Amino acid sequence: MKRTLAIARKEIIAYFTTPIAYVVFAAITVLGSWFFLSLLGQFQRHSFELTRMGRDDMLAHMNLTDQVMVPLVMNLALVLMMSVPFLSMRLLSEEKRQGTMELLLTTPVRPLEIVAGKYIAALAILTTALALTLSYPLLLSAFGSGDQGAVEWPTVLCGYLGLFLLGASAMAVGMFISSLTSSQIVAAFLTLMLLLLTWVVGWKAVDVEGAAREVLLYLSSTQHLISFANGMVELKDVVYYVSYMVLGLFLTHRALEGLRWAA
Amino acid sequence: MIRVEHLSKRYREIVAVDDLSFTVDEGEILGFLGPNGAGKSTTMRIITGYMPPSAGRVEVAGFDVFEHPLEFKRRLGYLPEHPPLYPDLTVREHLGFVADLKGVPRRKRRTEIDRVAELTRIGDVLKRRIGNLSKGYRQRVGLGQALLASPPVLVLDEPTVGLDPSQIMEIRELIKSLGGEHTILLSTHILAEVAMICRKVLIINQGRAVAFDDLETLAENHEESGRSLTLEEIFLKLTAA
Ligand SMILES: Nc1ncnc2c1ncn2[C@@H]1O[C@H](COP(=O)(O)OP(=O)(O)OP(=O)(O)O)[C@@H](O)[C@H]1O
Ligand SMILES: [Mg+2]
Repeated sequence: MKRTLAIARKEIIAYFTTPIAYVVFAAITVLGSWFFLSLLGQFQRHSFELTRMGRDDMLAHMNLTDQVMVPLVMNLALVLMMSVPFLSMRLLSEEKRQGTMELLLTTPVRPLEIVAGKYIAALAILTTALALTLSYPLLLSAFGSGDQGAVEWPTVLCGYLGLFLLGASAMAVGMFISSLTSSQIVAAFLTLMLLLLTWVVGWKAVDVEGAAREVLLYLSSTQHLISFANGMVELKDVVYYVSYMVLGLFLTHRALEGLRWAA
Repeated sequence: MIRVEHLSKRYREIVAVDDLSFTVDEGEILGFLGPNGAGKSTTMRIITGYMPPSAGRVEVAGFDVFEHPLEFKRRLGYLPEHPPLYPDLTVREHLGFVADLKGVPRRKRRTEIDRVAELTRIGDVLKRRIGNLSKGYRQRVGLGQALLASPPVLVLDEPTVGLDPSQIMEIRELIKSLGGEHTILLSTHILAEVAMICRKVLIINQGRAVAFDDLETLAENHEESGRSLTLEEIFLKLTAA
């Protein structure tokens, strides 16, 4: 455990000296704010029109959680998927490139401790990035008023749990890819492609029917976020993300063991 | 302390190490010689558990790498050919990290870092970022990291490469003084260094041992026209093939 934490701490220092962590935080904040402001603008225009037309019945269905936070969570998922490859790319490829794998593998550290330490560090950065975007619902709850303005925190937090699971599963996959190459660029690019693939695979679902449709939707990474975003934790979604996570971690561990045999 | 039995290593078609066997007794400093590409670094990478051999086995203090990897590695300090250092960390951060990996207790960490910094004369660069250090200083930090936690067995791959003349002398003295307490396998291309530090040498050529003897015995066994050859002459003769 001590060694795991030492590796995690070293990794976090590297995130901030590189300084990829700051870049990703900035990108997430900028893009997140843009999505947030445009959703908020839409909400205002919509409420305004409904008021003008006197449609109080429809106005009653408008609220900040459903019209702003739920779509925002889905938008943030996109930002997250674009960011994770840049957080995972250096995890193992950099150790290979700069030869420090020779240090890690000749000190009394288990490969499992290496994998765990790096993953913990990556998740810490991911969590911080997500925490920054919590400022949007906080702003809403500070300035929103009345029934419409109230933020339903259980729904919002559930959406964030979904985002965390999505990011964590993507990170595990990215870490595995990073263990395959000594080039950070190659690792980032391959991870991005793979994440895009698991994203767009769901789009094909509209063309097909029956079992094929179900399979495509099941494979789609964002499809599993929809329930979370709407405030529901469903077992099949949790299983989906957790299995990606376990698979990624398991393969990384295998790759670390195998690395020495392949040399 | 170190026992190597019938060790072989193939990199695809290249045979880097070929049926190599030797032992290093407790407290002994064994000089490890051989021309470029002879397989010294490869042998050391296998002995330290970084790479598995194609055949044969290695034991350190009675532990086999595969059966007891952690016990084995706990007893080893290793300075690889290219010192593995994190350029983004400061020297102190880096040594602290390695001390953690080696399981140095938290409260002893600082004194342990200061101890090796004193030995390898890096006390004045502890706050500098490793990426900005000169080659010689990096080499010394690499040696310092091998010495952290005082492992009984040291494997040093060309430790004096890149050092200035006065540092070379100091580091040689240091290594010599570590003998007795530590068991050391030392590779180098400087034959004078071997004569100065070691009593025994292992010379390999194309992955095979061509000499494994005390320096004195080696000199006695290689005489030409009534005078014993220098280590240099013996080296050239044995590795000519
Ligand atoms: N990763 C590798 N893949 C393929 N061949 C390798 C690899 N590492 C070393 N070799 C080959 O193995 C042989 C032995 O190399 P090694 O580095 O062990 O030699 P050395 O005795 O340390 O040489 P030097 O004195 O130059 O440091 C060389 O022919 C080298 O080209
Ligand atoms: Mg070498």
